[in-house]
Amino acid sequence: MAEFFGTTVADIFNTMPTRFKPEEARDVDIIIGYECRGDGGGKWKVHIKNGTIQVEEVAGELTGCKMSVHAADAETFIGVTLGKIAAIEVLTSGKLRVVGDPRVLMMLLPKVFVQYTVPAKKSAVAAKDIIATIAERFRPDKAAGVAMKVGYDLTGAGGGQWTIVIQDGKCAVEEGLAKDLTVKMTMPADVYTGMMLGTISGETAFTSGQVKIDGDMMAAGATSRFFSKYVDPSAQAGEAEELITIKVTNAIDCRFATGPVMGMWFKGLKEKKFLANVCPKCGRTQVPPREICAFCRVRCNEWVELGPRGTITAADVVYFASPDPLTGAVRETPYAMTWVLLDNASAQEAFCLDIKKEDLGRMKVGDRVRPVWAEKRTGSFRDVLYFELDQETRGEKR
Amino acid sequence: MKKQSKMQTGTHRKNRNVAIVGVGMTSLSSHKEDQNQPEMIHEAVRAALADANLTLDDVDCIVHGNMELFEMQFQPDMWHVLGSGAYGKDEYRITTGGTVGATMVCAADNLVASGLYDTVLAIGFEKLQEGNTTGGITNMADPLWFRNIQTGALTGTTAGMLIDEFGEERAKKAAMKYRILMDKHAMLNERAHRRFGLEYEQAEDLMKTSPQLVGELRLIHMCSQSDGACAMIFTHEEKARKISGKPVWVRDHITVHREETMSNLYAFEKPEMTHHYAARKLFERNGITDPVAYFDVFEMYDPSSWWGLDWLREFLMLKGDEHIRMLEDGEFDLDGRLPINPSGGVIASNPIGATAMLRPAFAALQIRGDAGGCQIRKPVNHALASGFGGTLWTVLIMLEKDLNWQEANHG
Repeated sequence: MAEFFGTTVADIFNTMPTRFKPEEARDVDIIIGYECRGDGGGKWKVHIKNGTIQVEEVAGELTGCKMSVHAADAETFIGVTLGKIAAIEVLTSGKLRVVGDPRVLMMLLPKVFVQYTVPAKKSAVAAKDIIATIAERFRPDKAAGVAMKVGYDLTGAGGGQWTIVIQDGKCAVEEGLAKDLTVKMTMPADVYTGMMLGTISGETAFTSGQVKIDGDMMAAGATSRFFSKYVDPSAQAGEAEELITIKVTNAIDCRFATGPVMGMWFKGLKEKKFLANVCPKCGRTQVPPREICAFCRVRCNEWVELGPRGTITAADVVYFASPDPLTGAVRETPYAMTWVLLDNASAQEAFCLDIKKEDLGRMKVGDRVRPVWAEKRTGSFRDVLYFELDQETRGEKR
Repeated sequence: MKKQSKMQTGTHRKNRNVAIVGVGMTSLSSHKEDQNQPEMIHEAVRAALADANLTLDDVDCIVHGNMELFEMQFQPDMWHVLGSGAYGKDEYRITTGGTVGATMVCAADNLVASGLYDTVLAIGFEKLQEGNTTGGITNMADPLWFRNIQTGALTGTTAGMLIDEFGEERAKKAAMKYRILMDKHAMLNERAHRRFGLEYEQAEDLMKTSPQLVGELRLIHMCSQSDGACAMIFTHEEKARKISGKPVWVRDHITVHREETMSNLYAFEKPEMTHHYAARKLFERNGITDPVAYFDVFEMYDPSSWWGLDWLREFLMLKGDEHIRMLEDGEFDLDGRLPINPSGGVIASNPIGATAMLRPAFAALQIRGDAGGCQIRKPVNHALASGFGGTLWTVLIMLEKDLNWQEANHG
């Protein structure tokens, strides 16, 4: 199976049950289909129901799924899962497609699964590779005046016998064990490589008896400082560096003065009235009201009541889920920014509010609407809950 | 008092000529977790100084800006002072929303032209991955009315209007043609962030399957969210001639904001669009009657392919379906009559505080012949660049290769 970023698509699905967090999925009942095309791909169905999970590979068509995810190739799917490829980029280019509510991907899945990580690979480094670098890692400045012969007897697969000779500020490696060793260390070859790569602690290996030392114990302990650290040349340099990011969420309470002119508008809302002020020069009815007319640069002191019914001039149905700055929560979608020209308003000034959920699918520009008022009104934009389609007065206006 | 009364609206006669002598930018990408903000800015500053063959000692004033609500960091100038090189120097911080990069160019132009400073370094940047762009923009909306309903910079209204005006099929095809053209240009620009390698044959499929954001505005139409910084160095004519082999002259700029509220944008009777208003004023006072013929390149701030398409008509003073026909006929291609966004535009790369500065920066590189893979093959002598933000806040900047134009008639 094709491998990308060190793992396969099947690995991701096979580990799903162990990464599943049942307590987070108690009230969830969803079947998600996955299709990953190309080499190393396949089809899977994931059924999450009341804290249980079932993952099955599917041979034929994906059926009965509430939503499905389609990746153009295994690299895209694995890259997005690991966060190596930005989901938004492949969603934009069409290499990743989601059929159904994309919020499931963004919100549900991160909640019910532990993030998939690539399982650590066993090092491919052999003991002899490390021994071969000893002479170049030697630091003569640290070994001035030192003369010793250190023997390594590495047992098991990948093992062998070597003698490291340090003398006159020089270091040489010889095959086999010299007769006049200062110290001899005996251990399995994989323990040696583990210690050199830093995955096994030398102290633990010695204490647990995996490492046997014959001869000058002090010399054995001193050897490490004569050499610079071994670095696995196949390890990615980028991973050696830890890039720390700090997560911060800001929430700030604000209070905004409305001023006397805008204040009239909010006062009107309390009494279920849309109050606009009128430009004495061009006759524009300003919604929301402003102190002056910017076109004519004159004060607008006269007030008129508009609506309450009106006509839709434009509508934006929003599918993209974004945070509501007033609450910090993610907005429920879809919703619509609906522009309404209130009755008796001049033709330049529409204003914008929600439309009733049930009317989202059928409203269109030119439709008649009426406001639905909140029962308890406090003088805020929440005083009008939304507009709804108003069949009764259809055709009367415009 | 007497002198002031003679001043007329729109007057900003240049006291001396101003040239762009240095352009520097970082790579533009989705994540820059290997650098913090001052480090990223410093990379652009060093590149601009190297490009101008100057050191920080030659810089008299620094102009620094971004969209502060995006990263929720309200004194970036302080945090960045070592990266910007502003330590102990005169500095201005500018924040005019998406327009900020272009506003900084206007400010630098004015600061040098006035004689207040000889050499000014302007720095625009953003790390969009560090905050929430759409949440940030929504939070900038009018708190008394619009914040409850706005969804960042996302709107499908323009798509709806173009569909009404030109029919669904032609409008949707044109928006996708624009989108894929921008990607084709981005593929030629090694600095661009998003380079998908789209082909025109994919248009049909993408216009149906790309996720809907708002109405007919789909993910494929929308600009990217990028990290990156841009720095530009401006100086006066005398110095520019001394130090630079390829100065690019800032002929004129206009910056306009004339929406009191969003209300009057979406009623039945619409005011003259600010883009059109700005272009009309700028071209009138510079005696340009046919902008398509005059300019050799237009780097336009195009937040989505629907907006980009629609705004071409406004900025270039086109009528009816001229803009769509020009697009269909390939006249906005890199080798077309008026190449639009050889850089790939905002749709390809969008570190917002730098975005509106990247427009004149890429335009200046075109004039110099230093635009790399996306260099226009025929000579580029006259360039137009635009900035956009907030409620249609609009900046237009005219750049010239030669100092040979008639001085603007500022009325």
